[in-house]
Amino acid sequence: MKVKVRFFARFRELLGTELIAEVAEETTLPDLIKQVAQKNIEGHNAIFDERGHFREYVILMRNARRIDLADAEKNIVDDGDDIAVFPPVAGG
Amino acid sequence: MFSERERERYKRQMMLFGDEGQVQLKKAHIFVAGAGGLGSPVAIYLAAAGIGTLTLVDRDVVERSNLNRQILHYDRDTGRKKTESAEEKLCAINPDIRIRTIDTTIEEKNAADLVGKADGIVDAMDNYPARYLLNTVALRKKIPLFHGAICGFYGQATTIVPGQTACLACIFPKAPPEEVLPVVGVTPGIIGMVQATEVLKYLLKSGELLTNRLFIWDGMQAHAEEISMERNPRCTACGPLCEIQGDET
Repeated sequence: MKVKVRFFARFRELLGTELIAEVAEETTLPDLIKQVAQKNIEGHNAIFDERGHFREYVILMRNARRIDLADAEKNIVDDGDDIAVFPPVAGG
Repeated sequence: MFSERERERYKRQMMLFGDEGQVQLKKAHIFVAGAGGLGSPVAIYLAAAGIGTLTLVDRDVVERSNLNRQILHYDRDTGRKKTESAEEKLCAINPDIRIRTIDTTIEEKNAADLVGKADGIVDAMDNYPARYLLNTVALRKKIPLFHGAICGFYGQATTIVPGQTACLACIFPKAPPEEVLPVVGVTPGIIGMVQATEVLKYLLKSGELLTNRLFIWDGMQAHAEEISMERNPRCTACGPLCEIQGDET
């Protein structure tokens, strides 16, 4: 099963622009992103806290729909999903 | 309504939206929160376009490290109040409009008064606590908030219309940690232009506003995209459970 994961801003610098991930059936959204973010510890730590939970400001989109962080675990990814992960940009 | 000098100044844009559009711009009052990286290009272009009244608020003094991006301020302005430097440049760009500058910090206790009777707020701040304050004021006063933010070669923008669109707290419920961010001047230039274009469209009542859409710019890839946003029914700023009272002032 193939899923597209796209990162933005700081996450993009650390993890790349867009990746196609090969994932097992029944993979949850957090597990998918952990799997993809493993390649760069700094990138992983920018998205997840010490307990492995999403940092509270992370924004998750699945097929252009916002996913509440509290509901991320309930999201089982499907083949062809387009997942976007980004931080709010803050400067002015 | 317009002097000969104004007619000449606005000739090329009045070809686009006529006397009627130019009148709408002249009657408008826009509040620009911040005279820094985003505030500089926004204020310059809104002044040049003939927005009748511009209020700029900033508390800082010009530092040399600001000059790579804050194009309202020149090397000779180092050490000067940003409001003073901004007023001088904007009056020189367009003497036919009113420039109001206020040298203060935008806080909960003064934010609504500072915005006053402005028709819209441009978010040119550099931190989320101040942005959330502006968001609340925009919701209370039922005026739009033109959001922009930048980091490095990345930027984002969206237009918030109270009662119709997701508010800033719907889109970004939690602020990212504060840090000193790298930035090069072209990025606030691009995002500031998106914000200024939105202001003009809103005042002219034409085009499609950047509502419920987050515009995301990656300068390194020269790639722009947008992400759909929607109101959060549980939003702490604009949801049905919070008590935003209409501002009577």
